[in-house]
Amino acid sequence: MRNRHSTGLSVIIAAFISALLLSLLCGMFYNMWKYEIERIILEEGGWQSRIAGLPNQEAMESIKNFATIKDVVVHEAGTQEETMVVDLYFYHMGNVLEDTPKIARLAGISEEDLTYHYELLAMYLIRDSRDKAPRLVFPLFLLIMTMASVSLVVIIHNAFALTMNERIHHLGILSSIGATPRQIRACLMKESASLCVLPVMAGNLLGILLSMILLHMINALLGSQFPQRHESVFGYHPLVLSGTILVTVVTIGISAWLPARKLSRLTPLEAIKNTEELHLKRRKHSPILTCFFGMEGKLAGNGLKAQKKALRTSSWSLSLSFMAFTLMYCFFTLSEISTRETYFEKYQNLWDIMVTIKDKDIDSFQEAQAIQELSQVLRAIVYQKAWAKRIVTEEEISEEMKELGGFAHASLKDVQKTPEGWMVNVPVIIMDDCSFLAYCEEIGIPPSLDGAVIQNRIRDVTNPDFRHPRYMPYIKTDNKVSILRQPGREAEASKLPVLAYTEKAPALREEYGTLDYYELVHILPVSLWKEIKEKIGHGEKDTFICVLAGENASREELNSLQESIRRITANTCTTKSENRIEEYELNQKQIYGMKMILGGFCMLLAIIGIGNIFSNTLGFVRQRRREVARYLSVGLTPKGLCRMFCIEGLAVAGRPVLLSLPPAAAAIGYMLKISYLDVGEFLAEAPLPPILAFTAAVWGAVALAYYLGWRSVRKISLAEVLKDDTMI
Amino acid sequence: MEILKCEGVCKIYGSPGNEVTALRDIDLSVDAGEFVAVMGASGSGKSTLLHILGTVDKATKGTVMVDGTNLSSLNPTQAAIFRRRKVGLVYQFYNLIPTLTVRENILMPLTLDKKKPNKEYFEEIVGSLGITDKLDTLPGRLSGGQQQRAAIARSLIYRPALLLADEPTGNLDQKNSREILDLLKLSCRSFRQTIILITHDEKAALEAERIITLEDGRIISDEKRRQSL
Repeated sequence: MRNRHSTGLSVIIAAFISALLLSLLCGMFYNMWKYEIERIILEEGGWQSRIAGLPNQEAMESIKNFATIKDVVVHEAGTQEETMVVDLYFYHMGNVLEDTPKIARLAGISEEDLTYHYELLAMYLIRDSRDKAPRLVFPLFLLIMTMASVSLVVIIHNAFALTMNERIHHLGILSSIGATPRQIRACLMKESASLCVLPVMAGNLLGILLSMILLHMINALLGSQFPQRHESVFGYHPLVLSGTILVTVVTIGISAWLPARKLSRLTPLEAIKNTEELHLKRRKHSPILTCFFGMEGKLAGNGLKAQKKALRTSSWSLSLSFMAFTLMYCFFTLSEISTRETYFEKYQNLWDIMVTIKDKDIDSFQEAQAIQELSQVLRAIVYQKAWAKRIVTEEEISEEMKELGGFAHASLKDVQKTPEGWMVNVPVIIMDDCSFLAYCEEIGIPPSLDGAVIQNRIRDVTNPDFRHPRYMPYIKTDNKVSILRQPGREAEASKLPVLAYTEKAPALREEYGTLDYYELVHILPVSLWKEIKEKIGHGEKDTFICVLAGENASREELNSLQESIRRITANTCTTKSENRIEEYELNQKQIYGMKMILGGFCMLLAIIGIGNIFSNTLGFVRQRRREVARYLSVGLTPKGLCRMFCIEGLAVAGRPVLLSLPPAAAAIGYMLKISYLDVGEFLAEAPLPPILAFTAAVWGAVALAYYLGWRSVRKISLAEVLKDDTMI
Repeated sequence: MEILKCEGVCKIYGSPGNEVTALRDIDLSVDAGEFVAVMGASGSGKSTLLHILGTVDKATKGTVMVDGTNLSSLNPTQAAIFRRRKVGLVYQFYNLIPTLTVRENILMPLTLDKKKPNKEYFEEIVGSLGITDKLDTLPGRLSGGQQQRAAIARSLIYRPALLLADEPTGNLDQKNSREILDLLKLSCRSFRQTIILITHDEKAALEAERIITLEDGRIISDEKRRQSL
């Protein structure tokens, strides 16, 4: 095998990629497992079993002196004295289920007072029949590993088969002089092993490195989204390495054993006579290739059909990689368009910085004016959100809404029928007085702090297209008073004067009426809120500041503004601040990172297929010289032969694209349908460059493989091949 | 009418200092419609001669004219077209294309030229060769004798100037050998086909009307026999 560089190379690539993927999976799983344990210990503590109540001194002594106990910690589980608990830590987790009842008996404690940390124990594969919760980490890992191993066996065993088939004549000779099938198998397996040692080691090491990089990327991606998240630290254990190597060896071993077993069963005569020529068992047609390319197309088509088995790996892996790559890029493009349209573009002129003032009510926030007076600030709205209820009577419903069935489509979760009418949710936006007055001017009413503004619009609920909603007036505008009620205690009500009904929402980041179509937004000044606050309650605990900086403010300007706001609020409250440009860039980085990771997997998959094609075409001299000689002997010109190989290469490279296009198109069509994006809009931003680059890279590799195959085949001596009938 | 003329044809294999001379100064002339057998022991140069005549190989020295074409002046593409149109090659192991049916194999030289076959001639050939019912079968499904008949049909389909048969009975049993030789004789007689049969089987050679014997790359005898085909 070592002397057969072309097919040996494909085995080396197959072994390397298998080891890389399996090592990556194992490395990632180990770190996930480690992280999960750290998370459980952080959130719930590292105790393994627990005794409720405080045992007496003597019992405590006997617990502490129990042979397998490492540590005993007594602490309060709550604020009450009676909720004292004793946490038990064992030297070996394996003793927990067996020894805890013994300890309880020894200390005279009832078994009912015992608790086991099942979640933590399950992470060490310690399960108790009393724990009914599904603990899926290990089963899931085993399932994924098994699937990965089986898929790899299916994909790479062909590479071994091709390499071993080259030796078939030698094996025939060996067999004819008395080598047993077992000896032949052993010989082939040893040869495979000698080829795979280095790539397996290299693949494993690179897999560990990749899992480290991947973990770092996950930390970066998730850390920015969930700042409170416990960061995972990469770790590796010699046992993981041993396990990975074992799985890799088993996977590669089975891949090599399958063809070795088949070859060892051939009779000496079969092996010696085997010409490895491409044969068809049944007559096949290649109507498309014949129609487009004539006789050369027919020969190429038949050649491909005869090589079907040998090219199965490449067919599958290239089709899957192309489909996955296309779908991934289309999905991200759709997601990017959607996020941009529904978020970044929609709110681009509404905010540049969002400040969350933690645990502070708007009426106790005194720094609003100072922030609004900052020179870089164009507008700063300080607001708090609250929830209330109100009744919409039959008479109040607008004519347009009535035409669409009124509340007929409403879910009981959002709207409740009462004797007076329908009880709907009321999101209350409480704005600082200054911003409220500006809002009044914006909607064209005399500025006043003596009432609320009602955002009077409702979506056409019969049209599910959330991207192009049609709005209509929700209620009639005759009523000059709105009665808000406290959620859960609807009897508590407060009358609010209504200053105006408007369709125009205040310039805030929030969007209402998206999940509950029937909510009726009320906008209030803080001075009015102070009066009704006690009756309505249900204000959210945080207050927000929506800051709009000057036009085209740069990232640096926003950073400086953020810092100024932080300085103003630093002494009085805890804040968290977001910057629109930073958020946009972060979002882009996250998408880019995801594309890189998933794209990398697609590339790995494609490399397996390309490796298979190379191993096939580089074996042309051996496998197809007789076929080529026949074509030439009946008058096919060298140019015609070249054309035939070009057609074959084109079909090998083009088929995965053609096969994966319909399912990819269907999936994209479905994604477009559920996201209500226009096809034209998607097509204008369709990720053609990366998909074309990926296709070109795959096609280029296939073209190179066929060129090398053709180059080796064209050098054959026709006379020699025709003389050499046994192909020995 | 002379269809083949060789003058001073030499073929030397191997690198300088390690040369093997396969043919030495071969002079040969064959008339149209002749059935010539070339005999000789293994290594006498008979297959090399056939390959040169079939443009599969090139002479190191000398000229070979087939039906007015100087074979030494042909480039690979011209040689391929020449093989397609002027020469029919029949080998010991048939060399049929395993992925094409018998019909497609037979029509291959015409298909490569994008020509339609003469239906009557095609039927006449396959009928006389006895493979009419095997036309839609893949070669792998046929017996050796049937495959060789298909190979002969393919070599005759373009009405070539020369039919070159290299040990066509070497892989067949006695009955099939007899039948194949009869078919070759029949094609020579019916289609006035010039045939050069390479064989080391004396019995097969005796079927020809002229026997040329090679030894160490030289013609040592050229005997015309009076035999009615």
